[in-house]
Amino acid sequence: MRIKTLDLTKTYQVGSSEITALDKVNLEVGEKSFTVIVGPSGAGKSTLLNLVGLNDHPTSGKILIDSVDTSQFSAGERRKIRLSRMGFVFQTFNLLPTLSAVENVELPMALAKKSRKEQREATVRLLEMVGLGHRLAHRPKELSIGEMQRVSIARALANDPEIVIADEPTGELDSKTAKEIITLLVEISKKGKKTVVVATHDEKVIEAADIVYAIQDGKVKPEG
Amino acid sequence: MALAATLVVAVGATTMRYTTVVKEMSVLFNGQVMVTSKDAIVVQAIPIFGGMLPQNFTIKELEGIEGIERVIPVLFVVNTTFSGLGSMPVNFSMGIPVEDWQAVLGPMPLKGNSGHFPTNESGSEVVVGASMADQYNWVVGSRIVLHERELTIVGVLDTKMALLNRCIIMPLKLAQTVHNNVGNINIVAVKPAQGYSQGNLTSAIQRKVSYVKALTEEERNDVVQPIIAQIESWNVGMQTIILCMSLILVMMVTVMSVSERRRDFATLDAIGAPLHFVFSVVILETSLIGVFGALLGIGFGSLAALLIASVYTNIPLALFFPSIFEIVPPLYMVQMFAAIVLVCCLGGIVPALSAMRMRVAEVLRAEY
Repeated sequence: MRIKTLDLTKTYQVGSSEITALDKVNLEVGEKSFTVIVGPSGAGKSTLLNLVGLNDHPTSGKILIDSVDTSQFSAGERRKIRLSRMGFVFQTFNLLPTLSAVENVELPMALAKKSRKEQREATVRLLEMVGLGHRLAHRPKELSIGEMQRVSIARALANDPEIVIADEPTGELDSKTAKEIITLLVEISKKGKKTVVVATHDEKVIEAADIVYAIQDGKVKPEG
Repeated sequence: MALAATLVVAVGATTMRYTTVVKEMSVLFNGQVMVTSKDAIVVQAIPIFGGMLPQNFTIKELEGIEGIERVIPVLFVVNTTFSGLGSMPVNFSMGIPVEDWQAVLGPMPLKGNSGHFPTNESGSEVVVGASMADQYNWVVGSRIVLHERELTIVGVLDTKMALLNRCIIMPLKLAQTVHNNVGNINIVAVKPAQGYSQGNLTSAIQRKVSYVKALTEEERNDVVQPIIAQIESWNVGMQTIILCMSLILVMMVTVMSVSERRRDFATLDAIGAPLHFVFSVVILETSLIGVFGALLGIGFGSLAALLIASVYTNIPLALFFPSIFEIVPPLYMVQMFAAIVLVCCLGGIVPALSAMRMRVAEVLRAEY
């Protein structure tokens, strides 16, 4: 999956004033690349990822996925793309607290109407891949934060998406666990041959990137 | 929800039971005009308070009216007190001439097909309702003391009518003696002769006998129907109010619950869950509240209805358990279950719509 943004702008109305979160952002995420978006808190990283992940609508500008303008997609089509072609990793993991690790990972597959057998086999494989083969039946509150983020990554990969979008995936983790998660995301990109987009201000993530975009006050420039 | 369901079931079942008892009374004295004293307070021709009539004088006056085939004097007494039995159950005593059992009670079998109706007007034989027989372990041949008079049970009525189940039926003369009302009656059942209508007969009776009121079957029903209708309307109204309040409560609680879990719903949206899935999650939750609330409520409500019946009639609670489905009919339980689950589902609609509108970008932005 290739993603391109054209003059992407997002503004918010806060009281009587208008805040520009993104200002005419142009960037390109290459297929099977490991792209990193860096910038300080409040720079617009999460806004950009929400737009690229079709979770939000731009105020102006375009997002092209494989050269197709996504502004023409209906809400249902955007939902289908998110379900089948994209995977999301959140800073705060966003696991459903009442579901076990297995059930959290199975959920996107169930929503995609995969068979029970297929769901269970893929879930066990994914959880083993992220090193949680022994924690299948545990609920999020019974897992460490590193383990929760691993479950979150396994869930993002559940429907074998073309792109994984991770918003500050190491933001809540200690340095050792953060390093393990970065390694995992790099593996997903390199060995799994998936497009990975990560928003972070973690230097270690930047080191692993194919391309880095720096974002400051809503404006983006490539760093290398 | 369970508390609301308990209230609805307990009040509904109790109301239904007593309106059923009143409706059942219309089965008695079928096809006959009822004559009672003008002073009596009458429910379905059963004088529940006041109004004695001199038997011989009244019967003679009525027999002189054209169009009457037969007159049957009856003494009906509410709240019989048993000597030697301790606390007093609410029950009834009915004195009927021995040759007129069938005319008053209709075809009435006796339990176990054993025993018989009293045959001697001046004897001490009585038949009793099954509920009383169960309560005091009375069987055919048992001897009981009523107002210091020893009576022998010669039969137990086999009927589902609540009134007759709590009734001691005896020959008229015996009833007058036992209840210290020798020569008095308070009901006269009048059978119209062939070709005479009940309506014409009541007019003639009230014209010629000034101190009585005569009621046709239709008039007897007309007296209680508005009262029953009003009671039933109040019951429906109260149930509606309770269910509406429950709906609002379920809605508010679920709105709060959805609001607390907005990140979960936003996550569902982010991973591409269809809107109908998010909607059904919330509705499923509220319907589960309904299912458990209804089950608990029907259980506790039925128990409360039995307790009310037990306290009101002074019949031990244990005796009501075998007949729980007569007090709270299964159909009523099913209706209440369905109504409560439906109310909970409806209460989930607004929160479900709110959950469907949660977007991850907005929720996360609000959090940071």
